[in-house]
Amino acid sequence: MFRLVPILIILCFVFPTAGLAEVVDETEIDQQVREIAKTLRCTVCQTENIWESGAPLAHQMREAVRERVRQGQSAEEIRAYFHSRYGDYIMMEPPKQGVNWLIWVAPFLLLFGGGILLWREVKGWVTRTPAPQPPPALDETSRRRIERELHQDKLE
Amino acid sequence: MTRTTQITIFVVLLALLSLFYQGLWGDPRHIPPVLVDTPAPVFEGPDVESGEPLSSEQYKGKVILVNFWASWCQECKVEHENLLRLYEEFKDHPEFVMLGINYQDEIPKARAYLQRYGSSFPHMQDVKGALAIDFGVYGVPETFVIDRQGIIRHKWIGPIVDNVYTNLTQNVLTPLLSDPTPPRQGSGQTT
Repeated sequence: MFRLVPILIILCFVFPTAGLAEVVDETEIDQQVREIAKTLRCTVCQTENIWESGAPLAHQMREAVRERVRQGQSAEEIRAYFHSRYGDYIMMEPPKQGVNWLIWVAPFLLLFGGGILLWREVKGWVTRTPAPQPPPALDETSRRRIERELHQDKLE
Repeated sequence: MTRTTQITIFVVLLALLSLFYQGLWGDPRHIPPVLVDTPAPVFEGPDVESGEPLSSEQYKGKVILVNFWASWCQECKVEHENLLRLYEEFKDHPEFVMLGINYQDEIPKARAYLQRYGSSFPHMQDVKGALAIDFGVYGVPETFVIDRQGIIRHKWIGPIVDNVYTNLTQNVLTPLLSDPTPPRQGSGQTT
């Protein structure tokens, strides 16, 4: 029996959350709240949505989402409500309009621009680097000496 | 690559990085408030001290200063004296109303806070913070000014101190209270 203790201790370190796990009975409302809450940004946190944030304001916002889901409002209506209160800042995915396009397009533009710059640089290096010169022709004395040494090697 | 191209690329990258930084980690105080110049949310709730019902309906047609606060908020303590001073300054104007909204607080603690720091104007309970979301509040303290037509004209995130106090009283409240435009019927925004 006591032989199992070290194994159990090791298992506790390997699977630390197993002992804390509980059965989550998620209702349809919970599911909708989770899906909507994940699209709304916690306004007092840094880059966290209100579903994952532990801030009190995020908690209130989750409750406000739940209340509106219970009232039968659609996900779009709920998002529109929060957007009307906090603007684009609350959306985890800013609407594709105005200056927000920059957020969507800039990474691809940077990648494209960076690729062109890299290509131009590499091309410049290739153009600027001179082709390797052929080795100077072997003079007659050296050639005879090499042949002689090779011949000696064979005899040995 | 020429020197000009290098500088241009550097400047563009720097501008993009600062935009992303501002967007991701910027202070919400500098985000343009979307509720300014829109109808104020309709509100109702019990008074913190007396428990009597308070509602936006009873303040219709008046210039309302709404201040969100909490007993656990340090910056609220900093501005509290100024709020009392501001109320003293404008309380005799027949069209001025000031209302504190006690945000996410325990009522006994809120009452003790008002007893300790002073209370001269009504305060409404918003224990769950639902009204704060209606007003697009980020955190306390936050102050709104609603005109006689029921439109939010001013929002300030942070304590009312120094220049903020001067700006609020001289550039916001005084002009609104001297505006002769009659109040609009049926103002207010339901949520």
